[in-house]
Amino acid sequence: MGISVLLEPIILAEIMLQGLVRGSMYALMACGLSLIFGLMGVKNFSHGEFFMLGAYVMFFVAVFMDAPFILGIGAAAAVLFVFGVLVERTLIANLRRRAGRDWLLDAFVLTIGLMIVLQNLALLTFGSTRRGVPQLVSGMTEIGPIFVTNERLMILGASALIVTMLGLFIRYTRMGKAIRATGQDPEAAQTLGIDVNRVYTYTFGLGAALAGIAGALLIGIFPAYPTVGFHPVIKSIAAVILGGLGNVPGAIAAGLLLGVIEAYTTFFLASGWQHVITAGLIVLVLIFRPYGLFSSAKGDRP
Amino acid sequence: MALEIQGVTAGYTKEVPILQGIDLTASDGLVTVIIGPNGAGKSTLLKVIYGYLRASEGEIRHDGVSLRDQQPKDMLRHGIAYLIQGHSVFPKMSVEENLELGAWILRNDRKAVASAFEEVYERYPRLKEKRRMLAGVLSGGEQRMLEIARLTMTGPKTLLLDEPSVGLMPKLVDTVYQEIARLKEQRYTILIVDQNVRKAMQIADYIYVLKLGRNSHEGPREDIQPRIEAIIREWI
Repeated sequence: MGISVLLEPIILAEIMLQGLVRGSMYALMACGLSLIFGLMGVKNFSHGEFFMLGAYVMFFVAVFMDAPFILGIGAAAAVLFVFGVLVERTLIANLRRRAGRDWLLDAFVLTIGLMIVLQNLALLTFGSTRRGVPQLVSGMTEIGPIFVTNERLMILGASALIVTMLGLFIRYTRMGKAIRATGQDPEAAQTLGIDVNRVYTYTFGLGAALAGIAGALLIGIFPAYPTVGFHPVIKSIAAVILGGLGNVPGAIAAGLLLGVIEAYTTFFLASGWQHVITAGLIVLVLIFRPYGLFSSAKGDRP
Repeated sequence: MALEIQGVTAGYTKEVPILQGIDLTASDGLVTVIIGPNGAGKSTLLKVIYGYLRASEGEIRHDGVSLRDQQPKDMLRHGIAYLIQGHSVFPKMSVEENLELGAWILRNDRKAVASAFEEVYERYPRLKEKRRMLAGVLSGGEQRMLEIARLTMTGPKTLLLDEPSVGLMPKLVDTVYQEIARLKEQRYTILIVDQNVRKAMQIADYIYVLKLGRNSHEGPREDIQPRIEAIIREWI
């Protein structure tokens, strides 16, 4: 097979689409991570486990209860939101209140601990079997010369919708404005009567819900098992760094970009190389644009 | 009535109190100025009043209501607004959004919010012109005006101003103090901490001098002003 076959526009377009699907998962994960980091400064290493829990919720709803997958997405969002709120209220808020300059380091260690605990609890409860759903949506659609599974279209459409809704929420709602204000100047926000502790809790819940939605949406590609969150969280951390720490739109763009780069790398080189390329890209970005591909040198906050 | 502070002791750690039994009253409708050398605890006192730092001893009352266990987020509801030291506009939000956040505690009372906007835009036409611009691109003086305008959105009774003129060029310092004079005419109760002793003195009705966390001198401006040179010489 000559290289010319590989460069057929149709094949390239199909791979691009695959990359965008994967990238939309990274983007959903990364915007939650970035939102939490941008607002609170917390690097949430248990974000991958929120993804894992979302996948289990979807499995439970779609297979056990045999309910439509839309319910599974809604349930994953709701369950993970509540879970995120509880984690923030009971664990992280306590560290924050104890204050001291090292609370962020404490929180970082805490989220690593939470990652280990959740992985092992999942192992105890669900075992190590992969629990997937063959297809959330069946059928194919023809777009010009390429065939796309409806499942992929659904993932792309749902991700786009959710990201757009998140953007509108942050821009126009009262809570969205409070989140932006608190991110830019928590002390000033407090003087205006904004309950910043509530804003932190809410934001953490929102970020967890986004990870849960990603896990639920992608169950057809990533079946639920205790450590399924590992790759997604590593890639979404990469997206957050590439996009510029705390820059949510940047993280989304970087997530999509990573997905596409990975798909092409896997196709042209071999599976496994995509991790090398991603890591290499991060090193280059950290050397030449340490503030991220999509941020200005002054830094970005939500 | 106004704002009364009695015997307040407070600090960042238990062992080292910054304030050691401070007494102070900011009377209704008057401008009270706190001056003192660096490290006297002037800004710390404002932080204690606003609930950022707890007083280990003493009492703080506003119109007879104790503020001791209140948090910063509750203060505006008690009628106290606080201009924190340094920049406090939300730079990546528009002027209008900044003012909207100033009216945060009015919640969804659209009528009250609309009339607050109307009043502020009438007083600060420049902010109305630039309402769609990001606050971060305004000049330093305009940002300070926005901060002051934002303070008054909910019609508080008492204003705490921490170094309102710091970091501004002399011409803008005059503008800021003219603005404070306007607020005084509107009968706000104002408590100012400022390094710019001369400027703060001009507008003061009553002056407190703090030194190492304790009351050192106090009196109406007429009493303190003639002695100010001598008082400042004590600091050095």
